[in-house]
Amino acid sequence: MNNELPNDTTVASLDRRGLLRIGGLTAVSAVVVAACGKTEAGTVGRVGEGGQTPVLADAIVNDGVLLRTMAGIETSIAAAYGHILDGGFLSKASATLPDLGDQSELIAIFQAHHVVAAETFNALAVEAGAEPWLCGNTRLDDAYITPIFERIEQGIPATDTTLKIEPSDDPTRDYVNLVHTLESMAASSCQALVPVVTSAAIRFTSMQIGVRSARQAALIALRIFPGGYVAGVGESVVAETDATTTTAAEGAAPAATAIPLPFALPARFGLLSPTTFIGGAGDENGVRLKFNFETPSLNSLAYPFYSCP
Amino acid sequence: MEIEVTEPGEHAATSSARHRVGRRAFLGAGAGGAALSLLPFLSGRAAASATTDESTTTAATTPPQRPTADDVALPGVVQQVEVTATALYGEAIAIGGWSDEQAVVVTFIRDAHRAYAQSLSGMLGRSAPNNMSQELFDGLRSDFVGDVAGVLAAAQAFESSAVATHGDVIAKLQGTDGAALLASIQIAEARFCTALADLAGDTDPVTLLVDEEAESLVGRG
Repeated sequence: MNNELPNDTTVASLDRRGLLRIGGLTAVSAVVVAACGKTEAGTVGRVGEGGQTPVLADAIVNDGVLLRTMAGIETSIAAAYGHILDGGFLSKASATLPDLGDQSELIAIFQAHHVVAAETFNALAVEAGAEPWLCGNTRLDDAYITPIFERIEQGIPATDTTLKIEPSDDPTRDYVNLVHTLESMAASSCQALVPVVTSAAIRFTSMQIGVRSARQAALIALRIFPGGYVAGVGESVVAETDATTTTAAEGAAPAATAIPLPFALPARFGLLSPTTFIGGAGDENGVRLKFNFETPSLNSLAYPFYSCP
Repeated sequence: MEIEVTEPGEHAATSSARHRVGRRAFLGAGAGGAALSLLPFLSGRAAASATTDESTTTAATTPPQRPTADDVALPGVVQQVEVTATALYGEAIAIGGWSDEQAVVVTFIRDAHRAYAQSLSGMLGRSAPNNMSQELFDGLRSDFVGDVAGVLAAAQAFESSAVATHGDVIAKLQGTDGAALLASIQIAEARFCTALADLAGDTDPVTLLVDEEAESLVGRG
């Protein structure tokens, strides 16, 4: 068997002219095919003019926005204290904190401070060319303070998948802890304002308010936990820290979440970290309500396009 | 496989004559190309000039972050106050007579003041004085070496002065780094006042919350 190809086979030469001819024919064929295709396609066009696409306002953060936000936070705190005082919760005895005593008078002093603080921040906001913010901070109220009030006073009704959560086993303890949390957050918020505002005068005023809130936080911490000056120092302090932890007996319901006791001097420097609130009755697993209160950020600022509800 | 042509073909001369690029044409093309390639750069420069104008407008309202030249002196004063505080509390601790609880709190406050002095030193760098105000120390030392009740009262008054001092300086600083650091110190020292008053057995909210702040130490020593 011979596999060799004959050497004399004539292969059609493809010169440049031939190549151009083939290209031309291809192009002409494509045009003809395209011309024979269906020319009607797509849907019928709409007649008339549609509405404009809404354009969101720019969320510019400036001194006015920051000061309005602080005014709202101070107002929210004052309103929260008003709710607590009106309910008379602080004049009741606390099973968890038997030595607490009636703190209503002290909280009324705190409330007056926050009312004045809100007015001061609003005055600064107006100076900065912004509208005053005359109600509470909506984010703080809706996402934090109101759910805490509901959990403490009413509990949570049962659903298809979860059991009912009872109202708080000790509202006085929860509310005095809430006061400590709000005072700590107010102090941190004033401190956090310092590097973000443009004027030294605003920083000074903000810190005057923050200093007072920090002292209020320290004082209520000492009322809740007498002798609790410094965190993590001394064996007696560590032992007393667990005072509000309840241990479940064998076969009983799970122990409720421990509630940490506050300290007057939580750290050497002013903290900007979140302040944790734990309160209310435990759910079926013993888990109490827990919130981290943080200094205001982009989702809680009072932008110019927001107004009080 | 590569074919290396070492000798020009017979049409080489004609072809090279037809496609020869003269020096003048080459230079012309080069200049044109350069102009084209510089066009986006030049337009970018124009845009950058506009941005610079804009950022200048912003810079006029945005405070500087680092301490300015004018900012160095005041935090230096504050650092001297903190070093002095560390020395005063050191004297107070040395006299003894403290309960365990009091000793823990006073030692915590002494160490905190040392930390403040060190952090201010870190911020100011070589401009930091790193020494105490001898005049301030001499003026306050006798209050810090008496009986425990007297020392607690003196310490409370001193902390209130320190809070006022920080406020005084924050009101003048332009750089936000320095202001933020002083704010974190001021908040902590405010709490010291309340803790010291409580430690001394005070129960009056007016004293515990320091309704009347002491005078600033700026200019004193």
